[in-house]
Amino acid sequence: MKNIVFTISRQTYKSIIANRATLALAVLLGLSLCLATYVGWQNFKLQNSQRLHYKQLVRAQWLAKPDKHPHRMAHYGYLAFREKHELSFFDFGIESFAGVSIFLEAHKQNTVNFSEAGFSNGMLRFGEISVAMVLQLLVPLLIIFLGYNSIATERESGTLKILLCQKVSWRKLLWGKTFGILAIVLSIFIPLILLTILLWASLSDWAVSGDSAIRLLILIICYSAYFFIIVAITVLVSAFSKSSRTVLTTLLAAWIVLIIIVPRITQAVGNRIFPVPSKLEFLDQIASDVQKQGDSHDANDPHYAGIKDSLLKAYSVDDVKKLPFNYGGFIMAEGERITAGIYSAHQKKLNEKFQRQNGITAMVALLNPYLALKQVSMALTASDFETFVDFQNQAEAYRYGLAQKMNKLQIDKISNEKPGEHDKPLSISRSNWAEQPDFNYKFKIYGKVLQQEAVALAALGLWLSMVILLLQYSPRWIKNV
Amino acid sequence: MKNTYKLEFKLFFRSTSAWIGILVLLVTGFAGLYFGKTFIDKQNRAIEKAAVLQQKNTQNNLEHFGNDIGLFFFHNKFSMANVPQPWAAFANGQRDVNPYLISATMLALEGQIYDTEISNPVSLLFGNMDLSFVFIYLFPLVIIALVYSLIAEERESGIWPLLKSQTNQLSKLIWKKFMVRMVTIYFTSIVLFLAALLFLHLPIDQNLFAVSVIIWLYLAFWFAVSFFVISLSKSSNYNASVLVALWVLLCVVLPASLNLVLTQKYSVPEALQNVINQREGYHEKWDMPKEVTMKPFFEHYPHLKQYPFPADKTFSWFWYYGMQQMGDDQAVESRKSVAEKLKLRQRFTSIAALFLPTVQTQLGINEVAGTDLNAHLAFQEAYRSYHEKTRLQFYPAIFLEHGIETTKVSSTKLEAFTPGTIKDWTRLASLSLLTILFLILTLINLREIQIVK
Repeated sequence: MKNIVFTISRQTYKSIIANRATLALAVLLGLSLCLATYVGWQNFKLQNSQRLHYKQLVRAQWLAKPDKHPHRMAHYGYLAFREKHELSFFDFGIESFAGVSIFLEAHKQNTVNFSEAGFSNGMLRFGEISVAMVLQLLVPLLIIFLGYNSIATERESGTLKILLCQKVSWRKLLWGKTFGILAIVLSIFIPLILLTILLWASLSDWAVSGDSAIRLLILIICYSAYFFIIVAITVLVSAFSKSSRTVLTTLLAAWIVLIIIVPRITQAVGNRIFPVPSKLEFLDQIASDVQKQGDSHDANDPHYAGIKDSLLKAYSVDDVKKLPFNYGGFIMAEGERITAGIYSAHQKKLNEKFQRQNGITAMVALLNPYLALKQVSMALTASDFETFVDFQNQAEAYRYGLAQKMNKLQIDKISNEKPGEHDKPLSISRSNWAEQPDFNYKFKIYGKVLQQEAVALAALGLWLSMVILLLQYSPRWIKNV
Repeated sequence: MKNTYKLEFKLFFRSTSAWIGILVLLVTGFAGLYFGKTFIDKQNRAIEKAAVLQQKNTQNNLEHFGNDIGLFFFHNKFSMANVPQPWAAFANGQRDVNPYLISATMLALEGQIYDTEISNPVSLLFGNMDLSFVFIYLFPLVIIALVYSLIAEERESGIWPLLKSQTNQLSKLIWKKFMVRMVTIYFTSIVLFLAALLFLHLPIDQNLFAVSVIIWLYLAFWFAVSFFVISLSKSSNYNASVLVALWVLLCVVLPASLNLVLTQKYSVPEALQNVINQREGYHEKWDMPKEVTMKPFFEHYPHLKQYPFPADKTFSWFWYYGMQQMGDDQAVESRKSVAEKLKLRQRFTSIAALFLPTVQTQLGINEVAGTDLNAHLAFQEAYRSYHEKTRLQFYPAIFLEHGIETTKVSSTKLEAFTPGTIKDWTRLASLSLLTILFLILTLINLREIQIVK
């Protein structure tokens, strides 16, 4: 049994290699993969080095600030830059559509600005060449071209009957063809992966992190599964169709629908069903919630008047100026706590809406192996939506920490007596600034990512088991020989 | 003569693939119209809401900060909307990426003007489902599907020798079959255009003319390419493979590769530098003598010198707004170099578009629809001049610490910007040239078939 499968797959492999046109196509694809790897790396290095450069500049400028009032520092704020994951050279994901820098200051939550898409006049919308793009879009196309006539030709030339008359069963034939085509694909894919690993390791000075290594390993497994699924589908369609022309048109149509059309439609439907507010509306909702909670600018506001009264009572003084700490700083810390809480709640709700929008596409992944793989790939290379949200959350946590740190410095170190109109402003030593650590984004560990991508991984698993079952048991329904 | 055309039409519509192709175009076309319109409708509603909010927020700020004019303008925002044109629903372009509402206070603008709209990056990645997508991506595919087996099918089914023996004008016969398909596709496109006219309330004007000419030329290009490939007289499988590969090259691989070259060659770190310049330009002034701020400020606005500057006060709004102005003034150079980079990018894309009909068509339609990067940059410029106007209008009252009621700020309305449409007719030239080139190649091939016969 095994021998026959092996013979068929070797025969398939050889006949494909012997065909000059398909070989040329395969080599072309291999070359474009090498190019994509190289350019992807260049792009990653350039972008990350720019971001790192400005990150260091921002830190140096922060530390170099002279003695001043801590609240001035809270407004001076910090600039955070979204770092790229070292694997993001492999899959660009949403990288180009997500902002790069965010200004973090007291009282105010800003947007992440300067996405690559904002600098593009539209060519970006046709896509970006990356290793992932070649593997997700073009390799399936190659598989279709290599494999559409795998069985149909045997049928059209009459050799199928001869094969089936000899000891070859349909099952063995299908498995043999599948392995043969898969071998071709893997002989392009495996050297490339080795090259990628080598390049990646050498550029990170052979100090590869364990987490990234595991991520890459899972990626390789998922992509191999994806190729197997596509090859098996191609062979199955070839086995079930009447003519090679039907096979080719069916497979090409499926490729176009599943890869080009469906993602746009599911995303458009998601946006339609779960609409998000415009930014002005969003900010208006937050403002009105803040107003309900209390207005720190208003001396007669009941919330803040209550705080004032209880403070005066607790310290048995009759004026906030006599409190043993800076009253203004205390009130600001309270205000920051309230507004940040309200903002985060709204932002969380908004992100949940986005997740629901994306959820439609995620669900369709059960019917579309391309979408399933794309999601896993983006998540593992940290170029997905969840990583972007995680960056926003970490940046906001840093912003809040910075604002409250400066409020704390004001509470502890700034006098309650306001200087006169012509006096020198109050200030504290610049040695305090170093206490505020630099912003460093921490990527999630791979286990979390896998958990979060459970549906997409399950979809890939389902597809894999389905095509295996079909290869095993479907031949009994093949009518035409 | 007429009868044979009738026969060809009959033959053509007897095949299910013809009907499926047309149906696919109509269904996705209507879906594109629907989603494109919903997208723009949502923006229009947000703009209406913004007009209400502008007044409401100004009133709110007047209540809260009305007794301190400097503080009022610290908080009060002035908004401008990039109002979509009717064609924007046809081609959403970059309107999902770039903000269509800019809302900023009188403080340093460079720290505010780049703020983005709320958007889902995954949706941005997959792109919009509008009618222009159907025309650029799907029409060529259906053209390929209808044409690829034109000669090969006859040959593969054994009719070819029969035809050869019966007619001495084979190329005319092929031409007829071809014409039938062209008429059908163009008719479908007209149906979609009419639907767009009615559904999107498009005016019948130069823009309609420009868009339809671009699209029809684009479709002609694909017909020419398909015709050329079938004129090579290879098998239908070969034709299908080559045509789909060409489609993938022109719609995905080549634009995507060139885009990578573009981002690599013209990366825009200047934008990050600009933010840093603005931030330092303003904040550093707090720790410097007031003169450092006011000298360049009065050089920028000599006529504001007439207002007495309270140099002896530790803090004054005059100084504060001067410092904010320094944020913008010290970012002028970096802002200009960002603009310079973007111009280089535009030039690169324009040159690339000469060879890529897909990119050329997309750029052309977005340009007419006012949804391209240029329209957004024009919007930013319009906001910059509005911002400058606002500053000049309210600076005197702030510097003199007048009462807020003297400024008439309460009547501030949402400003509207409408992108002007530029019709770059030269785009048509490259599309026409490529189409003609393929037609000539086809004719040469067909003549060879004739001779071989």
